Amino acid sequence: MIDFKTKISSFFIFNSSLGPKEGEELKRILFFHPNQVTTDARKMQVGLCEAVVKFMSTFSSEPCDALQTQTNRYIFYQPEKNFWMVLVVRIPYTTKALSAIGESRGEVIEPTIMYDLLVSAYKMFRMFMGPFQNIPIEDIYTTCEEFFTPYILSKNITNDISDVIQGIHYLPLDKNSFFKVICFIDLLEINYPDFKCISFVYNDQLIWNALSKNDMLTLYQYLVQKLLPTQVAKEIQGDAVAAAQRHGRFISPPEGIRNKEDLQKLVKVYLMCEDDTETKQYYLIVYRTLSATVCFIVDVNTNLQIETFRSLDAFIGPQLSTIASTISEQCTIQALQNAQITSDTKFVYFNRLNLAFKSSVNRPINKLIPSTTLKPEVLSIIAGMHSDKKSLGNYGEIIVKIPDEYWITGKTSNEREFYVIIQEKNATLKEISDEVKRICEAQMKGVFFYPI
Amino acid sequence: MSHFSLKDTEEYYLALSDQPKKFDADSPVTNVFFDDTNGEVFTVRSGGVTGVTVNGMDESKCTSFRMEDRGPIISIKFSPDHKILAIQRNHDNQNAIVEFVNFQDLAPTNIEYCHTCKWKNAKILGFVWPKVNEIAFITDHGIELLQVLPEKKQLKNLKSTSFSGAWFSWCSQSNTVLLAGNNGVLLQPFSLNNSTITKLQKLELEASKPVMERDVCVIRLCDATWCAIFRHSVSTASSPGPTEVWLMPLSSPNGYHHTHVLKTGLVGRFAVHVVDELIVVHHQSSKTSQLFDIMEESKVENNTAIHIPIVAGNSMKPAKDGDQLCPMYSGNWVVFQPDYIIDARLGCLWRIRLIPSGLAHSVVKDEIPKIVAVLLRRTEGRDTIYRMMNQLVTEAGTYLVELTKAFDEIHLVYRKWADLEMARNTAGQTVDTSRSPHRFPVIISQAEMCSHVLQSHIDDKYIVQVVTAYVRSLGRRALAAQHAAAELAVRALVARGAAGRLRALLRRGALADARPLACQLLSLGRLQPAAAQLALDMLARLHAKEEIIEVLLSWDETISAVGVARQAGGTTWNTLSPRKLLAAAQQYAEQHSEPTAFIAIYHMLVNRNEKLRGSPHFLKGEQCDSYVEYYKRLMSEQ
Repeated sequence: MIDFKTKISSFFIFNSSLGPKEGEELKRILFFHPNQVTTDARKMQVGLCEAVVKFMSTFSSEPCDALQTQTNRYIFYQPEKNFWMVLVVRIPYTTKALSAIGESRGEVIEPTIMYDLLVSAYKMFRMFMGPFQNIPIEDIYTTCEEFFTPYILSKNITNDISDVIQGIHYLPLDKNSFFKVICFIDLLEINYPDFKCISFVYNDQLIWNALSKNDMLTLYQYLVQKLLPTQVAKEIQGDAVAAAQRHGRFISPPEGIRNKEDLQKLVKVYLMCEDDTETKQYYLIVYRTLSATVCFIVDVNTNLQIETFRSLDAFIGPQLSTIASTISEQCTIQALQNAQITSDTKFVYFNRLNLAFKSSVNRPINKLIPSTTLKPEVLSIIAGMHSDKKSLGNYGEIIVKIPDEYWITGKTSNEREFYVIIQEKNATLKEISDEVKRICEAQMKGVFFYPI
Repeated sequence: MSHFSLKDTEEYYLALSDQPKKFDADSPVTNVFFDDTNGEVFTVRSGGVTGVTVNGMDESKCTSFRMEDRGPIISIKFSPDHKILAIQRNHDNQNAIVEFVNFQDLAPTNIEYCHTCKWKNAKILGFVWPKVNEIAFITDHGIELLQVLPEKKQLKNLKSTSFSGAWFSWCSQSNTVLLAGNNGVLLQPFSLNNSTITKLQKLELEASKPVMERDVCVIRLCDATWCAIFRHSVSTASSPGPTEVWLMPLSSPNGYHHTHVLKTGLVGRFAVHVVDELIVVHHQSSKTSQLFDIMEESKVENNTAIHIPIVAGNSMKPAKDGDQLCPMYSGNWVVFQPDYIIDARLGCLWRIRLIPSGLAHSVVKDEIPKIVAVLLRRTEGRDTIYRMMNQLVTEAGTYLVELTKAFDEIHLVYRKWADLEMARNTAGQTVDTSRSPHRFPVIISQAEMCSHVLQSHIDDKYIVQVVTAYVRSLGRRALAAQHAAAELAVRALVARGAAGRLRALLRRGALADARPLACQLLSLGRLQPAAAQLALDMLARLHAKEEIIEVLLSWDETISAVGVARQAGGTTWNTLSPRKLLAAAQQYAEQHSEPTAFIAIYHMLVNRNEKLRGSPHFLKGEQCDSYVEYYKRLMSEQ
């Protein structure tokens, strides 16, 4: 079980250059979790990491990745010069005393998953706060505290394939409905030239994106993991805004945009647009009707008027609800079609170029019900293949058999990854290979795979 | 409400002929007659003694001659081939009689003869020439259709029909006569085609509202024949309502079955014309002419479709006679079908014509798509549509919605045309397109739209949105984006930094798979790996194995290229040049220090040789010696 809650020993960020003199060690620690740890213990942990990082730098120009001790595994990530983020995870180990009382040996967490956690934590921080180095020294401790504490506590990583491979669920839409979305966006951007629509999400599936690949994932994760779940919870409770929901409303800032004061509460983000070359600061505005969520950005130097937002609301509301209903109809039809062709095949698909993620194991709609269909061992194998891009190369296929009759096939081709999980006791390698080929052809119609 | 105005246009959508056809004006000694079948004006001076002049739009048919004055002329008309002149004179208390003079080279011969109507005491209301050597006498007793035998100076009865009528209306385009009986309550049409008289479905009007001769005409519109009636509101009412024009189908082989009611919203004297399948309703007192299009989308209720003018009523463009401005909508005007106007006082004959660009001179924003639809149904509409679309694209910031709908109209017409073509091609010759209710004077293909409109706007501010709207519209009408459109879309989107949108569109299948499109994407692939990924998928869907092999070879993926070739099998694999593969394999092996790659490909080729020719060796012509050497070297090294 890859369960971070119980396995994370600590998480901290430090920068040695902030307190170079002896006695100023605490200044170096920007953030430390859990916060009940004493300052001495903090100093010791950070000191160890500082030493290791420094020591390793004499051997390699590459920054240090990880450190493993008998009880802990340290994962290092240096997002900016001198800023180090460290995740410490307990390693299950057994001593005679422990095994005597029945403590069993747990699973080892894939270092890549931990590393991914650090990277996405940093990216989320940078999206909202900007790079560490741009934050004034006097503010950085509180900024980190205010951001990372809730982030770490709310980070709910379950035993799920979508945490092993971080991707985006795209909504399969027919082209005419898709054009409806795009033309709506075009019309809006022409009428409100200050506003740029950066994403259009239906439920938790992406339809339109105008951000660079990296930022797209971060914003998507923010939407579907943080903003939308709280919003949906609110909607289910049916609070005061429920009546107005059909016509849509601004959900970021959370109280909506009703008067001039609300304009001060607009969230600022650092993002890079698709086909753009630099990251800029924008206001992030999120609007939602029915199940459709639209995100806009406005340059922070724009002088915003409350009237603009009122007129925007009147413009988007009715149009968006029409589009949302169209999409909803489409989804119902698709769901019916899919229900008829349910297959037992378990596969996972990931496209590195647009981060598209698709899986028969865990349909995105059922995200609320944690998937138990993939065994931790299987997940761990897939995680290994996903992170180890070298062994598969540009194209290739690996078939792994683990105990319990599981066959895991990993395939890459043309920047795509395709994994098939087959449970079959008396199969031969040939049979599995043929079966994978068949599934691949059935599921990935119209996609070119290198011949193996 | 904002208005769209097409640049460099005048407000006028109707004009008279640039120069009128001049003839001697009506005077006490001169009588003027008009033959609407041939479109000719006869000016008869002193009963023909001092000369008869025939003027028409066709210069070659104009002539003048002299003839005896045998009494006041009621009607004078040439046969369609101008070889016989028929004259009806007013002879009191005499049998109804028509005189004939044979003509040669537009000059009278001395061969003259006459024919008396078969009914005694009948009054000839008029005569018409349905075709060469056929004449019909229309009398108050009925119609008599006769064959003229000019050499024998005789007429032979072909067919006659009795009907008691007071007046008639003639449509020369469809050879239809409409006789009015029962004091203008019963209208009986007859068709004079195929050398016979066919009685058509009669029209019965409310007994309380009979029609008068001046309120009725028979017109040809949309390949159907119609009776157009002005229905004036009852004059006894305290506030008289406006006049309506009722169009009732007389013969409709092509699906026009219901009555069309044109709401003029005006009272007074009217006249009607047909120009380019549009009904023109002239109104004298306001000096305006309204246009109605019965082909527009309209709701049919009680078997009736209601229409309003397609644009606000406007005057015709003032006409000039030399440098002199002519009085317009003059009381001296006489109107003939389909599009003639005569001013007998001035001695001018005009035809009216449509100025399509005038329709776009001032258009309410919402009605832009409607105007485009109207223009699509006009023979001269194409150029104006291009101009409108160009201007809409330039001003896409204001007109994006209307532009999208205009695209939809264009594609709707294209779709209908394409469906019909398809039906015709699959059904062979059995489907006759002329019977279809749809005519397609303007069909704008994707290539034309690109070259005439979109191409020149490639640097416009909103080209990305415009191209998206265009491709969307194609999709809405289930038309695949063809090469011209796809190529332009790719170019516009990439040039304007919207490559992400392009990829999104491709992933949703908005641009149809095609080899040229795939090649265009491949060329982008160097900068955008995602474009290359999509290109390869597209080639795979097209089963373009040869292209895939070339792509993989160029990407230094020799092994995969051979894999694809072997999958394709047959000739693809058997005919692949071994030299090319070995060269690529050697390069790969040396660059990646993987000699096995070369060896594998070498072995595959040797196997192929063995299968094809029974010998593992390469042919001399295949020029593989250096690679055989290389293979030997590798093997010896191992």
